[in-house]
Amino acid sequence: MKFWISAAIVLAAAVAAAVTVKNEYFFFAGYTVLVFVTLATAWNILGGYAGYVNFGTPAFFGLGAYTAAVLFKAFAMPLVLQILAAGVMSGLLGLAAGVLTLRLRGIFFAIATIALVVIMETLFINWRFAGGATGLQLLRPPPMPPFESYIKMLFVLAVAIAIVAVAVARWIEQSWIGRGLRAIRDSEEAAECTGVPTLRLKLFACTVSGALMGTAGACMPMYLSFIEPASTFNLNYAIGALASPMIGGTAHYLGPVIGALILSTLQQVVSVTISSEMNVLVVGVLLVFFVVAAPEGVLGLFKKWFRTSSK
Amino acid sequence: MKALRWFAGMAAVFAMAGAAVAQQPIKIGMSMPQTGGLGAGGKAALVAIRMWVEDVNARGGLLGRKVELTAYDDQSNPAMTPSLYTKLLDVDKVDLLIAPYATVPTAPIMPLVKQRDLLLMGNFSFQVNHTVKHDKWFNNAPWNNAASWFEGFFQAGQKAGAKTIAFLAADQEFAQNLANGAKELAKKGGLKTVYEQNYPPTTTDFSSLIRAVRASKPDLVFVASYPNDSVAIVRAVNEIGVGEGVKIFGGGMVGLQFTPIMESLGSLLNGIVNYNSYVPGMNYPGIEDFLQRYAKKAAAEKVDPLGFYLPPFNYAIGQMIEQAVTATKSLDHKVLADYLHKNEMKTIVGPIRYGADGEWANPRVVMGQFRGIADKNVEQFRQPGKQVILYPEAYKTGDVVVPFEKARK
Repeated sequence: MKFWISAAIVLAAAVAAAVTVKNEYFFFAGYTVLVFVTLATAWNILGGYAGYVNFGTPAFFGLGAYTAAVLFKAFAMPLVLQILAAGVMSGLLGLAAGVLTLRLRGIFFAIATIALVVIMETLFINWRFAGGATGLQLLRPPPMPPFESYIKMLFVLAVAIAIVAVAVARWIEQSWIGRGLRAIRDSEEAAECTGVPTLRLKLFACTVSGALMGTAGACMPMYLSFIEPASTFNLNYAIGALASPMIGGTAHYLGPVIGALILSTLQQVVSVTISSEMNVLVVGVLLVFFVVAAPEGVLGLFKKWFRTSSK
Repeated sequence: MKALRWFAGMAAVFAMAGAAVAQQPIKIGMSMPQTGGLGAGGKAALVAIRMWVEDVNARGGLLGRKVELTAYDDQSNPAMTPSLYTKLLDVDKVDLLIAPYATVPTAPIMPLVKQRDLLLMGNFSFQVNHTVKHDKWFNNAPWNNAASWFEGFFQAGQKAGAKTIAFLAADQEFAQNLANGAKELAKKGGLKTVYEQNYPPTTTDFSSLIRAVRASKPDLVFVASYPNDSVAIVRAVNEIGVGEGVKIFGGGMVGLQFTPIMESLGSLLNGIVNYNSYVPGMNYPGIEDFLQRYAKKAAAEKVDPLGFYLPPFNYAIGQMIEQAVTATKSLDHKVLADYLHKNEMKTIVGPIRYGADGEWANPRVVMGQFRGIADKNVEQFRQPGKQVILYPEAYKTGDVVVPFEKARK
């Protein structure tokens, strides 16, 4: 109950901010941070709980984005339907990728997911209707009331999507599915022997993770009013989605949220202050620091600190 | 008496505050790719824009106010530019905007400037206003549509008596756009297409394609390629040859304008006829002085030492802003846009007039032929004549040498 009350407060605060705050910069920057909150949470379902490291985030994110863009171009479909369709398409891609790759483990699974990104990018480079390599410019429709600008509406939607993603991750983590996935992470053979339906659980995790990544990508074409393959299937999305749970902690559903808030906010700040190469360096340095000093992330550090202070 | 003194004091405070406002700098904001794929070009372009800021401030600024440039790194990533430009507008409160270098980072900010009805000076974009149709967009690039890139190539072909043509193009949209523009011109010129092949962007070995081109015995070979492909194609042509009958080879090879590639290919470039934005020998007023000053800055900042392709055009963006603001004595975007639409801009990349779509009304894509290039000598490219200007007519420095095999020697 506490979770849902918190979620309602966050959503209400987002709506209130969108209606009252005039400065649009914070909505643009906030939107980017929220996309990474959703991506990191989605990544953690497969990567954190099940231990299957997925570098294919851009493939799912990009497919979601392209699904939305194509539906908008072809049928001028409303944004909410674009988001749902993007989730379904990326979920199906997750299922298909799961069927094809889940016999692979460890580094081999990770390599296969990178291949998925290349395949998807090549596909959209060669699809002229979707803009090909040059990209597609889209003219945004007017925002829905009470929002006075489109970006404020997108910001609120991004908050809602992030809440849904966190709620799904929380549900998985606290249900038998989460326990099953953790069993797979610790020892797949042992899990199988003790009756955990490993294949079904892995396919489920792949599908849900992919679908959530797709919904994160769905608003991107409208955010940019533009879509093109090179930046849509950029591996930076994979790095951000992977780095955030590492920084925040993979064991708890709040870990990726904390990690994404720290990392993406820092990146936004650095990009308008220190700028240039330093921005790129931030992720690397943070990642190395947390892997070495805090392998269980920020949440792990907190737990450790509470444990020592209670003694 | 006391009240009078109070009023006098307040008046003095307001006068001082007013003077302080008048002295506030004019802020110009932009993002520029300084890292990522477009980073090398973006850094060189930024040096040029900063040079203009220094120059204009040395002349006393604009409207008696200093000019201040805020430039963020967009990492060549279009996802970055909307937030950076809203920061420039809503937080930094800039007075004027310049677009980032290239089409992709620019495209996402077009709806923003259209929605807020702002002036945006474009920076080497290609048809980015095509859908948005913003009336305060002014792109500084020497082309307008795809066909405008290759007028010179086909004029030279016509003069050389060419009857047939072969097309080789990367299977990516930008190269395809260029190739389609070229095909239009070829059709108009009555040239017969004897070979047409698109290659995947990942191609590294072009020997079989060059052999196929040679077997088709064309008079002209038109290539629309990206930097890595351009290098591989030039090397393949050097090893295999395209045949004695080919009169002109080149056209739309991206990369042959970039200093590191020109330096590494050296003498292999000889004979190739290719597009460019500026080559030495074009008598634009002030450009030589600019390039001399740029060379010193570029050496210090470790960016493109020649700076022919982008930097002069970026300096020219500053010049256009200066001309419009000085003439209208205004920073109002509508007033400035009206001025830019109606008047000829005098810049170091020549006179510029804008069409209704915000692109150059008279495109001036240079078609040059590499001649007498030696190996491992970057300084040679500063000399006029190393790229003989075939087009535009007004800046022509020579005629095309044909056939290609002869021009290569």
